[in-house]
Amino acid sequence: MEPSGAGRKEKPKPREPAARLEKAKQKSAQQELKQRQRAEIYALNRVMTELEQQQFDSFCKQMQTSGE
Amino acid sequence: PFFVNRGGLPVDEPTWERMWRHVGRIHPEGERVAQRIRGAADLPKIPIPSVPAFQPSTSIPERLEAIQRYIRELQYNHTGTQFFEIKKSRPLTGLMDLAKEMTKEALPIKCLEAVILGIYLTNNMTTLDRFPISFKTHFSGNYFRHIVLGVNFGGRYGALGISRREELMYKAPVFRTLSELIFDFEKAYHRCWHTLKKVKLGHCVSHDPHSVEQIEWKHSILDLDKLTREDFRKELERHARDMRLKIGKGTGPPSPTKDRKKDVSSPQRGQASPHRRNSRGDRRPSGEKKPADSKAMPDLNGYQIRV
Repeated sequence: MEPSGAGRKEKPKPREPAARLEKAKQKSAQQELKQRQRAEIYALNRVMTELEQQQFDSFCKQMQTSGE
Repeated sequence: PFFVNRGGLPVDEPTWERMWRHVGRIHPEGERVAQRIRGAADLPKIPIPSVPAFQPSTSIPERLEAIQRYIRELQYNHTGTQFFEIKKSRPLTGLMDLAKEMTKEALPIKCLEAVILGIYLTNNMTTLDRFPISFKTHFSGNYFRHIVLGVNFGGRYGALGISRREELMYKAPVFRTLSELIFDFEKAYHRCWHTLKKVKLGHCVSHDPHSVEQIEWKHSILDLDKLTREDFRKELERHARDMRLKIGKGTGPPSPTKDRKKDVSSPQRGQASPHRRNSRGDRRPSGEKKPADSKAMPDLNGYQIRV
């Protein structure tokens, strides 16, 4: 007696290409979001780096003044 | 406060919003900073730096310079939010995966991330030893922590890393002893009004990027308040010797001192300390309060020189 299902071809799942397409779209959206965030992070980092440098320079000047 | 992005990349919404809220609180222009940047159409495009690749003939010192330039190009992270989560107890292989991600995502980093990156980028330099060096310093009533990646090439010591301060990161491998390297860092700290309090030295890190070993971050812990200058130097050299022994023999024995991982309060732990005369000039007698800073720090709205 043949086991059930033997010799029968499996029907292709029609959802697979759609699922793959969806996954590709999500990946692309994620990549775009990462690129956008990266641009904003570096723009922010520039502003915060300038702030830190200004504060450090002012502090150094004050230290020199108080030293004199 | 010190924020860490624990959700990977892209940054999730709660973490993203927290980053901007923090910036709004600490920047004099407040929320205008966020308003100018978020959603702006004309932000500059920042190219992703290329990971350095070398000809076989490139010397180790040249490679270290190139690696440091690469790390510098990522920039020090001043945003207030660390983008890569580093768990120091992770096996090396996991940390190397994270380092690879850092090179792919190319975002600003802080000192610990730079150490992990430095290890990753020097793994193929088998003649270069790498070991973490952690600093604890004091400035204006607060303590600060910093870490760099010590390197030893042909008996010459140097460092890779990143810091807000130029003098507290890269050191070319020109120092003849580990003490000279550490003293150089100490002088650099002094120039920005920080007092060095503790140094923690790790052991050499494996060059195998798939190793499941953990990084040993604090093989030696040196408390400068409890050591004379000479003892501090001796302990540094002891650590250097331990590293050489371990490398030479594979798993050689450390120098004969008990409880190496505990703070060094005297150099002769577990043995009778020799009675010293006139050697405690550098130490504060017990029970004495910490002296006030010899120079009163000007108050710049509570500005702290962070490193």
